Amino acid sequence: MSEKELGKKLDRCLADGVVKLGTGLGLGIVFSVLFFKRRTWPITLFSGAGLGMAYANCQHDLRSHYLLHTKEQACEGRPQKT
Amino acid sequence: MASRIWPLVKLVSKVTIAGGAVYVTYDSGLLGSSEQGSVVLEKAKVAVPPALEEWIKYFGLEVRMCKLLIWPITWYLGVRWTISSLSEAPTRASEYTSQGLQYVKDLIK
Repeated sequence: MSEKELGKKLDRCLADGVVKLGTGLGLGIVFSVLFFKRRTWPITLFSGAGLGMAYANCQHDLRSHYLLHTKEQACEGRPQKT
Repeated sequence: MASRIWPLVKLVSKVTIAGGAVYVTYDSGLLGSSEQGSVVLEKAKVAVPPALEEWIKYFGLEVRMCKLLIWPITWYLGVRWTISSLSEAPTRASEYTSQGLQYVKDLIK
Protein backbone atom coordinates (compact mmCIF):
# COMPACT_ATOMS: atom_id res chain seq x y z
CA MET A 1 0.00 0.00 0.00
CA SER A 2 1.45 3.38 -0.96
CA GLU A 3 1.77 6.16 1.58
CA LYS A 4 -0.75 8.30 -0.29
CA GLU A 5 -3.31 5.48 -0.23
CA LEU A 6 -2.62 4.88 3.48
CA GLY A 7 -3.09 8.57 4.20
CA LYS A 8 -6.43 8.64 2.38
CA LYS A 9 -7.59 5.55 4.25
CA LEU A 10 -6.61 7.02 7.62
CA ASP A 11 -8.40 10.29 6.81
CA ARG A 12 -11.45 8.30 5.79
CA CYS A 13 -11.25 6.34 9.06
CA LEU A 14 -11.15 9.56 11.04
CA ALA A 15 -14.09 11.06 9.13
CA ASP A 16 -16.07 7.85 9.59
CA GLY A 17 -15.27 7.87 13.32
CA VAL A 18 -16.59 11.40 13.67
CA VAL A 19 -19.77 10.55 11.75
CA LYS A 20 -20.48 7.37 13.69
CA LEU A 21 -19.74 8.98 17.05
CA GLY A 22 -22.20 11.76 16.24
CA THR A 23 -24.80 9.27 15.01
CA GLY A 24 -24.42 7.14 18.15
CA LEU A 25 -24.69 10.24 20.31
CA GLY A 26 -27.86 11.36 18.53
CA LEU A 27 -29.52 7.95 18.68
CA GLY A 28 -28.45 7.57 22.31
CA ILE A 29 -30.09 10.89 23.19
CA VAL A 30 -33.29 9.86 21.38
CA PHE A 31 -33.49 6.50 23.17
CA SER A 32 -32.49 8.01 26.51
CA VAL A 33 -35.26 10.62 26.32
CA LEU A 34 -37.94 8.24 25.00
CA PHE A 35 -37.36 5.03 26.94
CA PHE A 36 -34.82 5.44 29.73
CA LYS A 37 -35.97 8.56 31.60
CA ARG A 38 -33.07 10.79 30.47
CA ARG A 39 -30.33 8.63 31.96
CA THR A 40 -26.75 8.86 30.74
CA TRP A 41 -25.87 5.25 30.10
CA PRO A 42 -27.81 4.81 26.80
CA ILE A 43 -25.95 7.82 25.38
CA THR A 44 -22.62 6.32 26.43
CA LEU A 45 -23.62 2.91 25.09
CA PHE A 46 -24.71 4.14 21.68
CA SER A 47 -21.69 6.46 21.32
CA GLY A 48 -19.38 3.57 22.20
CA ALA A 49 -21.18 1.33 19.71
CA GLY A 50 -20.72 3.97 17.01
CA LEU A 51 -17.01 4.24 17.76
CA GLY A 52 -16.72 0.45 17.71
CA MET A 53 -18.41 0.31 14.29
CA ALA A 54 -16.02 2.95 12.99
CA TYR A 55 -13.05 0.98 14.38
CA ALA A 56 -14.28 -2.21 12.70
CA ASN A 57 -14.76 -0.41 9.37
CA CYS A 58 -11.28 1.09 9.62
CA GLN A 59 -9.75 -2.29 10.43
CA HIS A 60 -11.48 -3.88 7.43
CA ASP A 61 -10.46 -0.99 5.17
CA LEU A 62 -6.79 -1.21 6.16
CA ARG A 63 -6.70 -5.00 5.86
CA SER A 64 -8.58 -5.19 2.54
CA HIS A 65 -5.43 -4.32 0.57
CA TYR A 66 -3.71 -7.50 1.77
CA LEU A 67 -6.65 -9.90 1.41
CA LEU A 68 -6.99 -12.31 -1.49
CA HIS A 69 -10.17 -11.73 -3.48
CA THR A 70 -12.19 -14.24 -5.49
CA LYS A 71 -12.91 -13.86 -9.21
CA GLU A 72 -16.47 -12.71 -8.40
CA GLN A 73 -15.12 -9.87 -6.27
CA ALA A 74 -12.63 -9.04 -9.04
CA CYS A 75 -15.55 -8.68 -11.46
CA GLU A 76 -17.14 -6.22 -9.00
CA GLY A 77 -14.05 -4.06 -9.36
CA ARG A 78 -12.00 -4.94 -6.29
CA PRO A 79 -8.23 -5.43 -6.80
CA GLN A 80 -7.15 -9.04 -7.26
CA LYS A 81 -3.86 -10.45 -5.97
CA THR A 82 -1.90 -12.53 -8.52
CA MET B 1 -61.31 2.89 28.62
CA ALA B 2 -59.18 5.93 27.71
CA SER B 3 -56.90 5.38 30.71
CA ARG B 4 -56.16 1.88 29.41
CA ILE B 5 -55.48 2.98 25.85
CA TRP B 6 -53.36 6.05 26.67
CA PRO B 7 -50.20 4.17 27.88
CA LEU B 8 -50.43 1.98 24.78
CA VAL B 9 -50.68 5.06 22.55
CA LYS B 10 -47.66 6.58 24.31
CA LEU B 11 -45.63 3.39 23.84
CA VAL B 12 -46.58 3.08 20.17
CA SER B 13 -45.68 6.71 19.48
CA LYS B 14 -42.32 6.35 21.26
CA VAL B 15 -41.50 3.17 19.33
CA THR B 16 -42.52 4.90 16.07
CA ILE B 17 -40.27 7.89 16.75
CA ALA B 18 -37.31 5.72 17.78
CA GLY B 19 -37.81 3.39 14.83
CA GLY B 20 -38.06 6.35 12.47
CA ALA B 21 -34.81 7.80 13.83
CA VAL B 22 -33.01 4.48 13.36
CA TYR B 23 -34.43 4.10 9.83
CA VAL B 24 -33.39 7.63 8.82
CA THR B 25 -29.82 7.08 10.05
CA TYR B 26 -29.63 3.72 8.25
CA ASP B 27 -31.14 5.08 5.02
CA SER B 28 -28.80 8.08 4.89
CA GLY B 29 -25.74 5.78 5.08
CA LEU B 30 -24.56 6.89 8.50
CA LEU B 31 -24.29 3.28 9.70
CA GLY B 32 -22.60 1.95 6.55
CA SER B 33 -18.99 1.61 5.42
CA SER B 34 -16.23 4.20 5.86
CA GLU B 35 -16.70 5.44 2.26
CA GLN B 36 -20.35 6.18 2.95
CA GLY B 37 -19.40 7.95 6.19
CA SER B 38 -16.91 10.22 4.44
CA VAL B 39 -19.51 10.95 1.70
CA VAL B 40 -22.02 11.98 4.39
CA LEU B 41 -19.39 14.21 6.00
CA GLU B 42 -18.70 15.87 2.65
CA LYS B 43 -22.44 16.54 2.21
CA ALA B 44 -22.60 17.99 5.73
CA LYS B 45 -19.56 20.17 4.96
CA VAL B 46 -21.46 21.63 2.00
CA ALA B 47 -24.88 21.93 3.64
CA VAL B 48 -24.23 23.00 7.25
CA PRO B 49 -22.29 26.31 6.93
CA PRO B 50 -24.88 28.09 4.69
CA ALA B 51 -27.71 26.95 7.00
CA LEU B 52 -25.79 28.13 10.08
CA GLU B 53 -25.00 31.47 8.43
CA GLU B 54 -28.71 31.97 7.67
CA TRP B 55 -29.62 31.31 11.31
CA ILE B 56 -26.82 33.61 12.50
CA LYS B 57 -28.08 36.42 10.26
CA TYR B 58 -31.64 35.78 11.47
CA PHE B 59 -30.57 36.29 15.08
CA GLY B 60 -28.31 39.23 14.20
CA LEU B 61 -25.13 37.73 15.68
CA GLU B 62 -21.61 38.00 14.29
CA VAL B 63 -19.73 34.73 14.64
CA ARG B 64 -16.61 33.56 12.84
CA MET B 65 -17.07 30.13 11.27
CA CYS B 66 -14.16 27.78 11.74
CA LYS B 67 -13.64 25.14 9.12
CA LEU B 68 -13.96 22.30 11.60
CA LEU B 69 -15.58 19.89 9.17
CA ILE B 70 -12.43 19.87 7.02
CA TRP B 71 -10.30 18.72 9.95
CA PRO B 72 -10.85 14.91 9.79
CA ILE B 73 -10.38 14.81 6.03
CA THR B 74 -6.99 16.55 5.95
CA TRP B 75 -5.63 15.37 9.29
CA TYR B 76 -3.13 12.93 7.81
CA LEU B 77 -1.95 15.51 5.27
CA GLY B 78 -1.27 17.85 8.19
CA VAL B 79 0.62 15.14 10.08
CA ARG B 80 2.72 14.36 6.99
CA TRP B 81 3.49 18.05 6.40
CA THR B 82 4.53 18.53 10.04
CA ILE B 83 6.86 15.52 10.08
CA SER B 84 8.46 16.43 6.74
CA SER B 85 8.99 20.03 7.96
CA LEU B 86 10.60 18.75 11.15
CA SER B 87 12.91 16.45 9.19
CA GLU B 88 13.94 19.28 6.86
CA ALA B 89 14.36 21.81 9.70
CA PRO B 90 18.08 21.16 10.48
CA THR B 91 19.07 21.36 6.78
CA ARG B 92 17.14 24.59 6.29
CA ALA B 93 18.49 26.05 9.54
CA SER B 94 22.09 25.42 8.41
CA GLU B 95 21.32 26.91 4.97
CA TYR B 96 19.82 30.07 6.46
CA THR B 97 22.70 30.32 8.94
CA SER B 98 25.31 30.08 6.17
CA GLN B 99 23.35 32.63 4.10
CA GLY B 100 23.21 34.97 7.11
CA LEU B 101 26.96 34.60 7.77
CA GLN B 102 27.72 35.27 4.10
CA TYR B 103 25.52 38.40 4.25
CA VAL B 104 27.34 39.64 7.36
CA LYS B 105 30.75 38.99 5.73
CA ASP B 106 29.67 40.94 2.64
CA LEU B 107 28.54 43.81 4.87
CA ILE B 108 31.87 43.86 6.72
CA LYS B 109 33.82 43.93 3.44
